[in-house]
Amino acid sequence: MRNMKELRNLLQGPGVRLWAAILSVLFGMALWEIAARLWIDPFFLPPLSAIFLGAFELLKKGLLLENIRISLVRILSGFFLGSLVAIPLGLIIGRSLVMRSIFDPYIHFLRFIPALALTSLFLVWFGVGELAKIFQVMYATGFVVVMSTATGVVTTHKNKVLAAQTLGASPWQIFWLVIVPSAIPSIYVGMRLALAGSFLVIVAVEMLAAESGLGYLIWTSKIYFKIDWMFVGIFLLGALGLLADYLWKLVGQHVLRRYVRESANY
Amino acid sequence: MKDIDLSIGDGEFLIILGPSGCGKSTLLRLIAGFDKATSGDVRVGGRSVVAPGMDRGMVFQDLENSLYPWLSARENVGFGLRVNRVPNPERKQRTDEALQMVNLSIHGDKFPDNLSGGMKQRVQIARMLAMRPDIMLMDEPFAALDAQTRHVMQQQLVAIWTEVKRTAIYVTHDIREALNLGQRIVLMTAGPNAGIKQEYLVPLTYPRNQVASTYLNLFTAISRDIEEEVTKVWS
Repeated sequence: MRNMKELRNLLQGPGVRLWAAILSVLFGMALWEIAARLWIDPFFLPPLSAIFLGAFELLKKGLLLENIRISLVRILSGFFLGSLVAIPLGLIIGRSLVMRSIFDPYIHFLRFIPALALTSLFLVWFGVGELAKIFQVMYATGFVVVMSTATGVVTTHKNKVLAAQTLGASPWQIFWLVIVPSAIPSIYVGMRLALAGSFLVIVAVEMLAAESGLGYLIWTSKIYFKIDWMFVGIFLLGALGLLADYLWKLVGQHVLRRYVRESANY
Repeated sequence: MKDIDLSIGDGEFLIILGPSGCGKSTLLRLIAGFDKATSGDVRVGGRSVVAPGMDRGMVFQDLENSLYPWLSARENVGFGLRVNRVPNPERKQRTDEALQMVNLSIHGDKFPDNLSGGMKQRVQIARMLAMRPDIMLMDEPFAALDAQTRHVMQQQLVAIWTEVKRTAIYVTHDIREALNLGQRIVLMTAGPNAGIKQEYLVPLTYPRNQVASTYLNLFTAISRDIEEEVTKVWS
């Protein structure tokens, strides 16, 4: 019995779990390679080796890094600028009922209009440059962050505020030292969701109205029947998204640790 | 609540006792300045209470939402001194002193998530003590703790109160707790229109001997009076 328990503990230890994940990915890749070579028409599903070769081809043409850079700049600037507008707005409407009445009609109306529905309009308004794309990512990011920030503010437990009052804190100190820190977990989670949202939007925008970026790469690969390039773009989006999310999680677990606590554990 | 007329002496340990829903917490919140009475007023040292103030410290019942989880125990205790811009050597000294009074000196760097319920309440008490308020308001601070911890905390609280010589107003529904802590016990009637049913003086020294005849007689009398109130609500 004891040995069984030890075995179970061993099998559930962190080392084993890491290897299980690695083996699972390697197995999936091997299965793909074999399936694509033996059973599936490579036009529909090119083997992984062909996709790697496609990536090299793109790299040599100078298309790969350039498109990654362009997409990332759009995503990150839209994400951060959007949050920069959304967080203060969310804090204000969460705290002030008058401000909430003023901004709420716009926020709740606009947030149901998908960013993509505005692609053509933004093209007309802001031109074909980067501005229109960044605005669209801001638009997609902003509402999620406004909502989560305001929710974080209004769910601040009243005891925290009352305690601060008995300790002699001014309204301004209560806002900065109690309300804002209480809202950080909610802001953090909202921004994490918004980050994924900005990846979705930028790809679609690049397909519809751009001449560069990973979305554009995926879209044009279709025209040239370069399925392997298409997969390169798709994989890169997954990998970059995963990386960005991982970095955001590190921010939560280290920089914002005392504020975010368990919210960064998933 | 209706027709509540209550004076509390300087340095007194007063218990507000009553069944659930009788408004004992509401009374405490009025004294704290969290709520306003529809009529009548609360005066502290002759001045009307209009808002929360540093002369009245508060310990909340809620274990999970009353401390700042992003601050360590020490930072929680020093919060009031920080917002009042108390300069650093004094801030540190008063924070350490308050932590020591609740026996938490060695846990000062822990965060609330890593403290037990009893420790969290001790941090709340220390946070109040660091401000040296004239009046210490406590709203069933030990109600969510297990019986053993509660008993130890009661003894610690009495020791602290004896040391700081401040007025303590303590809300509870637990008769034994009331008798272990208070010099005077105010029993409230059941709501609506709750008022003061009866006052009892507890002429006993600390720590309270729970088998002394005075203790037992008071216990019986209070139990009977509370039961009367609870029955009124149920019938």
